[in-house]
Amino acid sequence: MRPIGAGGSGNVCELKRSMPRQIGLLAALLAVVAIAYTFKGYFGAGGPAASRLGGGGPAILAGAPAQSYPVKSLDGATDALDRYRGHVVFVNLWATWCAPCRSETPDLERLYTAERSKGLVVLGIDQGESPGAARDFAREMHLDYPILLDEAQQYGRAYAAVGLPTSLVVDPSGHIVRGIDGQLTLAEMHDAVDSVLQSARTVR
Amino acid sequence: MSDYGNRALAGVAAFGGIALVLAQDAVPTWAGFHTWQYAATVALAIVTVAAYALSARRGADGPLGIRLGIAAAGAIVTMSAGIASGLLGPDTETVTRAPGTVAPLPDVGAAGFFPAADAAAIARGDAAIVIRRRDGSAVEVGPGTRRFFGTVALETAPQPAAYVEARDPRGDRVTITQPTGVAFLSPVLLFAERVTIAGHALPSDTFATPALHRQIKAFYFSKESATVAQSHGLGGREAVLFAVDDDAGRLQPGGIGFVPSGGEATIGGVRFRVSVGTYPALVISAVPDPLALLVGGVLLAGGLAFAFRRRSPQANKRAADRASPELT
Repeated sequence: MRPIGAGGSGNVCELKRSMPRQIGLLAALLAVVAIAYTFKGYFGAGGPAASRLGGGGPAILAGAPAQSYPVKSLDGATDALDRYRGHVVFVNLWATWCAPCRSETPDLERLYTAERSKGLVVLGIDQGESPGAARDFAREMHLDYPILLDEAQQYGRAYAAVGLPTSLVVDPSGHIVRGIDGQLTLAEMHDAVDSVLQSARTVR
Repeated sequence: MSDYGNRALAGVAAFGGIALVLAQDAVPTWAGFHTWQYAATVALAIVTVAAYALSARRGADGPLGIRLGIAAAGAIVTMSAGIASGLLGPDTETVTRAPGTVAPLPDVGAAGFFPAADAAAIARGDAAIVIRRRDGSAVEVGPGTRRFFGTVALETAPQPAAYVEARDPRGDRVTITQPTGVAFLSPVLLFAERVTIAGHALPSDTFATPALHRQIKAFYFSKESATVAQSHGLGGREAVLFAVDDDAGRLQPGGIGFVPSGGEATIGGVRFRVSVGTYPALVISAVPDPLALLVGGVLLAGGLAFAFRRRSPQANKRAADRASPELT
């Protein structure tokens, strides 16, 4: 008598009878499905050549929550963007050495004066400079809107600034509506905030 | 070759191929997984196992060969996952971002949040990157840890970094910009370039202080390379060598000098304070699909258990009796 498993056509026939056909079919089917699933996964979202890194600039931040960092204000108190939650905030990243920032500033003051009664806050965030330089500049330009001093340049990094000035419109819920690189005219500033102020009023 | 020889060859091919596939999970950053040689080796193993399974199915290796078919299917699934990952998965990529910024990671279906880092955090070098998925779930990838996200593995690689403060001659802090760096408004240098000086490949970076009209080159000296600059009083400390030019690219008088980590020095009219350390980059590597590995593993283990299961003497006798009635 030969032990089972030692080969021979009789044993093979027996095994084919004893091993349910469905088990073999199921295993084969499972294997095919698993292999198909594995390969399909690589062709799902754009395939292997899909771009891994997005572009730069503040425009990509639209819809994202606005990051907030506690920093000093001109009067030495601690302040942060999230303290203005509930308002539409026009954030302007600037520095005293930046010529376009300097020429944009009077229009920022005009925007603030015109729209503050509608709930708009213009928030200037100086990037990387000592308080003295920003304070002198604010005095010289007769600025009324709040100025924050971001010596560690945290806002500039978080808001993907690719230059100065950089502006962002933040809605009352603290989400970025638009990110804009470069100097703006007064008309462009109004364009950027009007619809957000309108929707904020409708919600109220 | 004998039936036993074919079986042994298929076994070696299966377990060798599976070992190569599992190695992707163990050392996912190895570039060899994305070469044609790796794919060809695993493909050869698959063909060997598949050829054995087909011939065994026809009875060439007896009852055991037939029972081993399920295990062979499992081995093929596992090895296919390895080939798919090696050929179609993304090559290993290192994502470098400035502290406090976010990097979209389409291959992961998530975004990488690079933590804000002050001078102390750079010096400690213990920052962890947070990976946030679209469903809101988040995991931290810290130093020395590896996280698996479907078909990718994520780990961090410490990169040389320096937190720089620059001041004008009156002592007022001035803005640092990096027009060619990973973030325009960042005082953290990440030294993405390499420059050879006196036979040493040094990490280097550039930045500007627009308020002072200065363009500055910075070279990172690790503790090891700092020993070559002992004469500058570094005492084996990490340091940054600065070269200060004006906007026209003219080197300023006294415009080259070392600043050791934690120290201050005036170079080319700019007062620098530096904290040297590391900041993590995110390393993304392809790994085999875990679901395919699970299915393959279950089929393999189940198939082997089924093939080599111990049967009772009575069952063996009944089977043998049915198979060879003339001998009973």
